[in-house]
Amino acid sequence: MPIVFACAASHAPGMTAWTEAAPKEQAANILGSYRKLGEKLAASKPDAIVALTVEHWANFFLNSMPSFCIGRAEHYDGPVEEWLRIPKARVPGDAQLGKELIDACLDGGFDPTFSDELLFDHATFLPLHFLNPDLAVPVVPIIINTLTPPMPTAKRCFALGQFLGKTLERNQKRIAMIATGGLSHWPGEAKHGKINIPFDKNFLENLIARDFTSLTGYTHDEINIEAGSGGHEIRTWIALAGAVQSWKAELLAYEPVVPWATGCGLVAFHP
Amino acid sequence: MSLYQLQKLIYHVNRDPAQREHYRQDPSTFIKNYELTPAEATAILGIDVRSLYAMGVHSLLLRPFSLLNKVSNEDYAKALKGLE
Repeated sequence: MPIVFACAASHAPGMTAWTEAAPKEQAANILGSYRKLGEKLAASKPDAIVALTVEHWANFFLNSMPSFCIGRAEHYDGPVEEWLRIPKARVPGDAQLGKELIDACLDGGFDPTFSDELLFDHATFLPLHFLNPDLAVPVVPIIINTLTPPMPTAKRCFALGQFLGKTLERNQKRIAMIATGGLSHWPGEAKHGKINIPFDKNFLENLIARDFTSLTGYTHDEINIEAGSGGHEIRTWIALAGAVQSWKAELLAYEPVVPWATGCGLVAFHP
Repeated sequence: MSLYQLQKLIYHVNRDPAQREHYRQDPSTFIKNYELTPAEATAILGIDVRSLYAMGVHSLLLRPFSLLNKVSNEDYAKALKGLE
């Protein structure tokens, strides 16, 4: 079966942890769009969710930091954060699909690490809370290092996404793909709260225009300066753009939510 | 400087409920498991956000660590004022 659903969305922890701090209209637009995406995901009846995601020191540390890690666990616990206001739960994993993707990558010129135990922090758990609220659909997390340099290039992330897209199109299962992170934000930094609206809008325009040259052309330094340390997470969106290259991206919402300190975007992709 | 050790300590407290409990019960004993300089030990025990940030602790280690120690968004921002 082909890929049956794809979306990209920000995962600012304030969306659940301090929802009410945001202006009501902005919160309603973002959370309403998230719920819409959740309905679309459910309607696509996926057998599994492949999550192009990131993490924030929940699993990996500086003793060993993979560029790409594919989970092949039977389940994933989370959220790590006590203050996220999302109940702790066990998310089912699709270990078989995870294994198939790892094997395909190794045969196809990519060398991800793999893991039989990963914790989900807000990066993965918050999107699942809205997109897979009953946690019924099993997940394969693909974690991209967007946390600490050196990170994989935008070009490499796109290429991995492209490869995963081709591989998943041949899979027997109905697959929902999600990308999570971004857009511009400087979490926990002295510039915390800054949002670069022109950068975010330009990035979304590139995504919608399927301008793959621009998407793969983002450099580490450019993202770091223009979109902040949290902006590196756009690599997951770039990977998804590679996975569903022929799909049309539809912007559901963009809000620079200052109390959440993040340029929040949600995009649905249509075949 | 032993930034690696300092960050490792914070990583363990943030991530691991059992280690977090040890830290909460007796921070002074807990930090002896890590090779910290006296300045680092003082900053950790005092939840000195500004000093920890200036020492180079990654912001996504520092902010969750400070949240666990009940540092509000406002106080966190105040601590980093002028470091932009």
